[in-house]
Amino acid sequence: MAEGKRQPLIAFHGEDLGYGLERGQGGRARPARVVLPGLSLTLHRGDRVALLGQSGAGKSTLLAELRRRLGPQAAWCPQHHGLVAQLAVYHNVYMGRLPEHSALANLWNLLRPLKRPWQAVAELCELLGLEGLMRRPVGQLSGGQRQRVAIARALYQQRDLFLGDEPVASVDPHQALRLLALIEERHHTSVVALHQRELALSHFDRVWGLRDGRLVIDAPAGELTLAELDTLYPDADAAPAPITSTPPLDPEALPCSRGRP
Amino acid sequence: MSEATPSRQPRPGLLAGASTGLRLTRHSLVLIALCVLLLPLADLAILTRDPWAELGRMARGMAWPAWGSLESPVSAIGLTVAVAIWGTLAGVILGFPLALLFARSRLVRAGCAFVRAIHELFWALLFLQVFGLSALTALMALAIPYAGIFAKVYAEILEQTPRAPREALPPGSGRLSRFLYTELPLAWAQLAAYTRYRFECALRASVLLGFVGLPTLGFHLETAFREGRYPEAGALLWLFYLLIATLPWWGHKRLVPMLLIGGALLLGPWPEVDGGLLWRFVSDDLWPAPLLAGDPTGLLNWLARIPDLGPAIGNTLLLGLMGTVGALLVALALWPLACRHFGNRGTRLAGHGLLVILRSTPELMLAFIFLLLLGPSLLPAWLALSLHNGALIAFLVARHADALAPGMTGLSASGRFAYELLPRVYPGMLALLYYRAEVILRETAILGMLGVATLGFYIEEGFDYLMFDVAFFLLLITATLNIAVDSLSRRLRPREAPVEGSCTR
Repeated sequence: MAEGKRQPLIAFHGEDLGYGLERGQGGRARPARVVLPGLSLTLHRGDRVALLGQSGAGKSTLLAELRRRLGPQAAWCPQHHGLVAQLAVYHNVYMGRLPEHSALANLWNLLRPLKRPWQAVAELCELLGLEGLMRRPVGQLSGGQRQRVAIARALYQQRDLFLGDEPVASVDPHQALRLLALIEERHHTSVVALHQRELALSHFDRVWGLRDGRLVIDAPAGELTLAELDTLYPDADAAPAPITSTPPLDPEALPCSRGRP
Repeated sequence: MSEATPSRQPRPGLLAGASTGLRLTRHSLVLIALCVLLLPLADLAILTRDPWAELGRMARGMAWPAWGSLESPVSAIGLTVAVAIWGTLAGVILGFPLALLFARSRLVRAGCAFVRAIHELFWALLFLQVFGLSALTALMALAIPYAGIFAKVYAEILEQTPRAPREALPPGSGRLSRFLYTELPLAWAQLAAYTRYRFECALRASVLLGFVGLPTLGFHLETAFREGRYPEAGALLWLFYLLIATLPWWGHKRLVPMLLIGGALLLGPWPEVDGGLLWRFVSDDLWPAPLLAGDPTGLLNWLARIPDLGPAIGNTLLLGLMGTVGALLVALALWPLACRHFGNRGTRLAGHGLLVILRSTPELMLAFIFLLLLGPSLLPAWLALSLHNGALIAFLVARHADALAPGMTGLSASGRFAYELLPRVYPGMLALLYYRAEVILRETAILGMLGVATLGFYIEEGFDYLMFDVAFFLLLITATLNIAVDSLSRRLRPREAPVEGSCTR
């Protein structure tokens, strides 16, 4: 692989990732429960990575570790949105830049929206089809609308990198494409956990595939086939099917393969 | 097991089995047996000569209240509401910051447990010595225990807010901003609901403050009852029920600012606080003189002069147990009355009315009425505690049962009760009962103020004879007892049903 020219952002060299910290040998902190043992991979500047794998394969653990190491460089869109249902759409999006204002400004903003953030959030909301909903509590929105609010909050952070844990899981296929394009347009590097294998091949240039805590696929999307991605989901083909046959339909799979050759 | 040989499976004995229902039944039966076993130790004599005639006079007073004889009902109601709302607000202001420290500081937790363990009326008796019959006494008597309660409950509510929004925030968000955006909004509805419920409790407590002489509704009630002017007492009691029943309208959140302003104008009189006197009271009067002088033999003598507390503590605990078991039995008997699965519209309406009246009458008030009927034994206190707390639990259980849909239709009422509903609501009911056990014990102590020989009796005596050191010492013992029983009931409480909802604590 031609990695000489590309600038690595983060590299893991046989590291154990997991959650809960405890002191290991020599006083080094190590996870109390290891989910991804001996992980080696590199994220380069400009990579657009689709992260695939079954639930429980370790996608969220990897994303959490990436988020921890990248710190304020990365915009973050968590699984299940992590929105505050009682607050308006505007305030949820505003939260993306909470640390950039003083506590007093943040307090005042709850009482009356600040002028500049209001305009900036309004532009984003228009882009995401949320216009007219800015003052509505998130608790009153549909699942797809909430998803877009979560993405708006990540975009509002205006970072170079985007980390998303299933950011297009609850929108329809066309919207998923639009949202992914928007994410691509506004970040030079992104790592997005997905369940839609077709999207991974059509809209990303690299695929990381996790299975049972191992990185079993780390290859350019162009070199992979859907059948190879199917091996990441052992439960989907309980009866071992020949690899050439059409893969059993994943309920989450979207009919986006139409666009592919 | 094998279907072919059903008879091989031995028939289980009486109450044998590991199912939740049977386990809780055994648990409850042990509790009831313990109560029955200890019952002979309790003084349950009826000391009045003709309780039925007295009851008849009271009932006539309730049926034909003398509205015209009320002297200043509006000002009494105004003061009752003013004390309740400002006392609650002061409790919130003191308690909220403590709630933020609650999880981190053992000192805060212990302090809150202590102030919670002493009943509002005892706080009132204490502050009465310093601030006299004034608004300050009333406010402090509510605000201080409520601060401890708010600190604990608010901390629990805040702790249970979902963590996901907090974790989604960009790194570097300040503590205050994080709290304002991701914790407070998520907890707000529950915090508000609990504060409302506490305000209702404050209304009852505010009425009770009349029993120590503050001119709230309770003062007029007590006077009227004590002097046998039952028609007037009936009118006041109806007024109180009206006040509670119309709370959703006059206590609407839009009206709260007006209530606060109006209340501020009604509060009074304000005492002149003498700093020197206050300091002497706190630093000197409350403590045994030998202790301050560092004289150990003197302290022993001081302890020897304290009245024998064994029977008082025994009575307090016994009444607590009897009240708890009584509340269980009353709740078991009453909850179907207000439940949509039983009876018809008429019986349910009557059942609702009965439960509302029993649970909104302050238990001290109930005890006072029974005391007039039956004389000063443990009996009136037992009846009052059982009925008030039993009705409260029955109300919550009925609401729980209303939300259930029986799986089998067409069962008889007894079948529905025993097979469909009771197994589902009983774990929650027992959990509620254990929550209330601590409250019941606290109330047990204040019944002493009516002459029932519990710890409260000696505390009031201490204050009456200006033996503040003795009274304070007994208060400390009462608080310790409450904290101990609270932790015991926490341990005994069945784990089957986590109790949610604000009206339980």
